[in-house]
Amino acid sequence: MVGSAAVCVRGLWKRFGQQVAVAGVDLELPAGKFIGLVGPNGAGKTTTLSMVTGLLRPDQGSVEVVGHDVWRDPVAVKARIGVLPEGLRLFERLSGRELLGYSGRLRGLPGAEVDKRAGQLLDVLDLTGAQHKLVVDYSTGMRKKIGLAAALLHNPEVLFLDEPFEGVDPVSAQTIRGVLERYTASGATVVFSSHVMELVESLCDWVAVMAAGRIRATGPLSEVRGEHTTLQGAFLELVGAQGRDAGSDLDWLGGGAR
Amino acid sequence: MTDVTATVVRLKLSLLRNGLRQSGGRRAAFIASAVVALLFAALQLLGLLALRGHAHADAVAVLGTAVLALGWAVLPLFFPSGDETLDPTRLVMLPLRPRPLVRALLAASLVGIGPLFTLLLLVGCALSVARGAAAYVTAVVAVVLALLVCVALARAVAAANVRLLTSRKGRDLAVLSGLVIAIGAQLVNFGAQRLGSGGLGQLSPAADVLRWLPPASAVGAVHAVSERSYGLAAAQLLLTAAALALLVAVWARSLTRLMTAPDGSTLQAADSGARERASAGGLGRLLPAGRTGTVMERSLRYVWRDPKTKAAWVTSLAIGLIVPVFNALQGTGSIYFACFAAGMLGIQMYNQFGQDTSAFWMVAMTISSSRDAYVELRARALALLVITLPYAALVTVLTAAVLGDWPRLPEALGLSFALLGAMLATGAWTSARFPYSIPQEGYKNVAPGQAGLAWIAIFGGMVSAALLCAPVIALTIWLNVSADGDAFTWLLLPVGAVYGTAVTLLGLRLAAPRTAARLPEILAAVSKG
Repeated sequence: MVGSAAVCVRGLWKRFGQQVAVAGVDLELPAGKFIGLVGPNGAGKTTTLSMVTGLLRPDQGSVEVVGHDVWRDPVAVKARIGVLPEGLRLFERLSGRELLGYSGRLRGLPGAEVDKRAGQLLDVLDLTGAQHKLVVDYSTGMRKKIGLAAALLHNPEVLFLDEPFEGVDPVSAQTIRGVLERYTASGATVVFSSHVMELVESLCDWVAVMAAGRIRATGPLSEVRGEHTTLQGAFLELVGAQGRDAGSDLDWLGGGAR
Repeated sequence: MTDVTATVVRLKLSLLRNGLRQSGGRRAAFIASAVVALLFAALQLLGLLALRGHAHADAVAVLGTAVLALGWAVLPLFFPSGDETLDPTRLVMLPLRPRPLVRALLAASLVGIGPLFTLLLLVGCALSVARGAAAYVTAVVAVVLALLVCVALARAVAAANVRLLTSRKGRDLAVLSGLVIAIGAQLVNFGAQRLGSGGLGQLSPAADVLRWLPPASAVGAVHAVSERSYGLAAAQLLLTAAALALLVAVWARSLTRLMTAPDGSTLQAADSGARERASAGGLGRLLPAGRTGTVMERSLRYVWRDPKTKAAWVTSLAIGLIVPVFNALQGTGSIYFACFAAGMLGIQMYNQFGQDTSAFWMVAMTISSSRDAYVELRARALALLVITLPYAALVTVLTAAVLGDWPRLPEALGLSFALLGAMLATGAWTSARFPYSIPQEGYKNVAPGQAGLAWIAIFGGMVSAALLCAPVIALTIWLNVSADGDAFTWLLLPVGAVYGTAVTLLGLRLAAPRTAARLPEILAAVSKG
């Protein structure tokens, strides 16, 4: 696993009607790293991750995860990856514990092992108190955490997380972070998408910047950042959003005379 | 002061207008429902006017007003999102005092088809009992009072229950309301039939009580004036006005409380833990291990816990029982009607993945071969059979008992099993081939743009199921018409059971590779809306 690519994407395209969501993505992500896929809203991050994880069929291109083609060898790939998609539901009429039990057994793990792992995950993610509550009554942060637990349960080699910190409170975010850091420290790969640069900068050692359906830059964090002091600065330059100043139009805005 | 009223009324009008602007279909639906409602109201008005002078006209008018008020009290519980100006939590950030707000909201609630419909009916009720100038003057007051009581009643009920209505449990309840309305319609139908045979005189005792109950008491007052009992009329009018004042006060109080207390919609439902844990243990132990048991357990839990699935099941169970047994009770039935139960319940196999909604991705992530898909589909069919098999058998036995047609029980059971098998087979196949999404909010069972798909899946599937059953049906007919076939009709029970099983297995075998190959397409189809 060391030195090889965890994910290898070649010439990936996806169109929805007239709109091109992903326009020829080539991407090679190293194994054992904490990888951030960053980009503004509508850059094609979710579409790309959906195609990489086999949830969306690409119009063109190939995807390999740990050396296996996602579309030709789903048996090898699906057992090795964990996914937390954005904007898709969970089986919300199950309780948190039931959801983990369902998910683990569906993946063919023995029942006793599933229950043991579920108990530990619920404990680490601070969900033990809510384990018998229906997921439909969970808050956003709790949903992300139970989704993460379901994605980790079968101990995947590569974990794909779409916006895992979106709408999550700081305490839950810290918990999620702790779990993910421990997971990558053991040699596993995490690929997650976000548009919060500070977060990506503090978590990731490898970054891919996406805008308008294409990859604008990819590599170790320091390389992508270049001479900029922050990732935010490098990012704004890469997506061409700098120098836009709306200040002069809003001269009435502010305290003082009304 | 009047500023707030005008603003809120304008807000209501723009909400109405913008709602119509969203889509042509919605506009057409609105116009159609408006026309139907107003035509209905106009006909009622004419009918009530025709009742003038009839001995029991006052009973009809009083009862009609009471039913109207009942409707106003109940409807906000079922259609909480119908009127956004009604939702006080949306106004919570505005610097408004309760008094002008109540006045404004009351005025705004008078705008719409519902109030117009009510007004027409109330005018009809009042005019049908009014005789003489004094009565007509009273009628004007009475109609206004009654209308305001209706509207205030709806608002008071809605405001008192807003916690429930905005919580998850309340929304779950709303999905089941269709059933309540359907059953209510049956009761009304039953009542109407009894009235048809017994005459309007049966209404009088009820009307004697209701004429003292606002807002029906307002119509009672009009009647009293016509009868020259002015004291009685004054008491009834006063009673109505007092009821209005009381309702407005209750409403204003709950409004104030709602706007000053924190929103509780995110705090509830912490109590359900222990109960759910208790139910979980028993079910899991009875089911087989592995994917089969896991999927069955999840499916069975959803029958009980998911409001949409529950509503569909309750409908199927009810119709599957009512059609054969009621027909048998009326002496018009045949034991073959009992197959209706199997047919209705078999429908639940259709659109299996649509019932998952976009949570289907969790299933898709664990299916990597046709074998996985086969086990998944088979487990869903088994979960269905756990309920369907005993139920279909029970309905058949019950129908046989009512008809006293025991000799035909085996063949009816055999036919039921064959039909169930055919429904499961076609259901599994169409689930894979024509999946469509079931919106979780509201009453629709098909997402916009997928109605055609749903019709193809359900009706194509049902026709195919009937065709698949043809051999067993043919055998049944042949044994019944041939000279000494009756002696062998018991054979149809094992034949039907075996045939049904074989067809189901074949259907699952054909559906599995399609499911496995089309996972992303199925996910996309069931994630709409």
